[in-house]
Parts: sequence; C-alpha cells; structure tokens
Amino acid sequence: MRTLILTGSCTLALITAMLAQNTLYWPDPSWRAPETMAGKLNPLADKLWARPGGKKLFLRNCAECHDKDGNGQVKKHSADLQLAVVQQQTDGELFWKITNGNTGRGMPSFSKLPELERWQLVLFLRTLKVTEFQR
Amino acid sequence: MKPCTKALPAFVLFALLIVRSGYAQESPYFVTYDHHMEEPGNLEIETSSTTDVPRTGQKFFLAPWTELEYGVTANWTAELYLDGQATQGDSTIFTGWRLENRFRPFKREHWINPVLYLEYENINEADRIQKEVEGGAPDVSSPNSTLRRKQDQELETKLILSSDVHDWNLAGNFTATKNFSQHEGFEFGYSVGFYRPLATLASGSNCRLCRENFSAGMEIYGGLGSTLNLGLNDTAHYVAPVLAWLVSDNATLRFSPGFGLTHESCPVLFRFGYSYEVQGLGSKLARLFRRKQE
Repeated sequence: MRTLILTGSCTLALITAMLAQNTLYWPDPSWRAPETMAGKLNPLADKLWARPGGKKLFLRNCAECHDKDGNGQVKKHSADLQLAVVQQQTDGELFWKITNGNTGRGMPSFSKLPELERWQLVLFLRTLKVTEFQR
Repeated sequence: MKPCTKALPAFVLFALLIVRSGYAQESPYFVTYDHHMEEPGNLEIETSSTTDVPRTGQKFFLAPWTELEYGVTANWTAELYLDGQATQGDSTIFTGWRLENRFRPFKREHWINPVLYLEYENINEADRIQKEVEGGAPDVSSPNSTLRRKQDQELETKLILSSDVHDWNLAGNFTATKNFSQHEGFEFGYSVGFYRPLATLASGSNCRLCRENFSAGMEIYGGLGSTLNLGLNDTAHYVAPVLAWLVSDNATLRFSPGFGLTHESCPVLFRFGYSYEVQGLGSKLARLFRRKQE
C-alpha cells in the first residue's frame, strides 16, 4: 500500500514536471560562438552528395522543434532557421551552436552526433534559404 | 488504488497516440552514464533485462526492468525505474522502484563534462538488475520469499564525468550509496566506458543495417567496498563489450555480455535492452490541459 502511494506520488511529480516545462523561445543575444569556432570551415562544403544525409538527420533531430522546412513552429516559438539572422552566420558558428546547444533556452546539445554528421546538418541548413519543401 | 492502477496503462497508451516518435540514438552503455541528457519534453520508454550463467547448484534468473526517462529541461533528466525478477523453479516478483535525477551544471560542452546524479531506491534484496555494482554479486541462492522481506531504502549519488573526443565517448562514474535500512556505512562503486559509432557520416537512404546505425564499445564496472571495508576485497568486477543498433528512427536495441573478473562476480552477465522514444510529450500534454481550461 505504502509503495503504491509512493509510486503514485512519483508519477504525479513527473507529470507536474512535464506540465511545468517552458516551451517558449526568444532569441538569446548572449548565445555566440567563440571567434576561433566562427572561422572554422565546413569540411563537407563542396561535397553535395552529403546533403541528403543532412536532411535525414535534420528530420530526425531538428524538425520536431524547427519544423520540416526550418521555419520554426509558431506554437513552440522555436527559431526560424530561414531567417537572415540565422543564415548570415558562418558554418563554424552554426556547427558550434548545434554542438553546444543553449540548454537554458531549451535547445539541447547535439554533441552526441558524430562531428561529420553535425557538419552534414550545417550543409542542409544552407538549403533552407530556398526551402526545399516548398518546391 | 484500483481505479488509478487501471487508469495508468490507458494514460500511457493515450500519451503514445498523441505524440510523434523521436530519434533515439542512444548510448550503448548499460551501467555507465555519459553527459548526454534526454531532449527536453521527450519521453524514452525502455525495457531491459539482466540474466546470468548460473554456477553449479544455482538457478537461472531473469531480472527485467522498465525505465521511463523524461527530459524535464535540456540539463535535467528524470527517470522512474520499475524492477522485477523471475527465478527458475521459484517465483516472479516485483522487486521495487527507483527515482533518478541527473543534472548537468554547465551550459556548454567542455573537455570534461560533469553531471550530478541523485537516485532514491526502494527495492528489496531479491532485486538483481545490477544496474550498478557496489559490493559483491547479489544473493542468487536464497528463495525469493526470504529475500523480498528485506527492504532496502537507499540514496545513491554519482559523479558522472564524460567527454566526446573525435567521435569517441569516454565516460567515468563514481558512485556512493547509503542504505538507510541497514548499517552498512556508505558503499562505493565505479564504472568507466567508451564507445564510438561504426560510421560517422549519415547516408541519404533510410537503411537499417548501415554502419551509421550501430555503435560499439566497452564498459568496466565494479565495487570499491564501503566505509566499513574499503578496498577491492569481496567485490564484483565486470568487463562488458556493449553494442547498440538503431533499429528504427525511434527505437534502439542494446546488448552486452559482461564477464566477471573476480570470484565474487557472476561468471557471465547478459543484458538486453529495447528503448522507444516519443517526442514532445510534455508540450503536447501541456497544450491538451491548457485547452481544457479555456
């Protein structure tokens, strides 16, 4: 009986924590890549054959929050990756942001992906300027 | 209590129906923790089992556990474990539950990433999942009816240190546990591990047997004694290759044979795990409840 009450309390605590989650997004001006990383070049920049793999990774890892075409989900207030403020960043900056995330604002770190896969993601992000899904 | 018990599976099924599945690229470790947290709002449902090759005169057992892992925020992951155990020629019993929290204090990736771990356990002596090893191997000789009477309430802490170096993950955990039900002092344990994906570039196709969907490595874990008997005497130690296969975008299979290194260890431990990840559970539930209030 006591175990059941405790288990019920724990489940309730987990549900409360779920409901308390903040899904709002707003740009974070303090989230900046160090200069050493900003200048880093994408080793896959001229390897267009790697782009479909980037798209697959994007749909698996990023589309949940940023939507399939990267425009950010209005309801979740996620970043719109088609915006100039994102696309004007260097490959190195985008790579650094994918790697580190911005955990205080809900963007997780994707350092668990191999380095080349993170560069593949950057490669695909560049195609979002002219959204592939609108074609 | 009965209505609640009936409502819980229905709630879980409902939650699964309203959410989309997510990408479940999990680490292959069973015992060692790395610094990668659950994505915020995602729920991972995992079922795993530990079994061993019994010594002469011992009975075969299977110790399954179910794990619900939820990303509360990007740097806080909470987990609920439900443990069980079945012994050949004896019985199948529920052996207890655990509530675990992991906190990642630093926002950015560093050479070494610390994570703080705190777990409360309410289990009995029949629990054999061996998710962490502090002393010797569990008692596999006494009947379940005797073991289940001995309840343990434990507080377990871990310092997790983990690093990603050139697509290799290296992780080390130091464990300290206090059993409030018995006068054992503090017990200590360790685990270290490494793994790497078999391919580091994603193909454009949705192949399932491609190397990119596999990761492999090794973990070593064991006990370090207690404040009453510090050292490696009478402690179990294992070396265990680990393998994970991403069978679909949302599911991972894991396997690990662990080989005992001391007389106190089980000769061989086999572990199997299947995890399924659902995305956006938190935000979808929040939206659902908000809509009802309006």
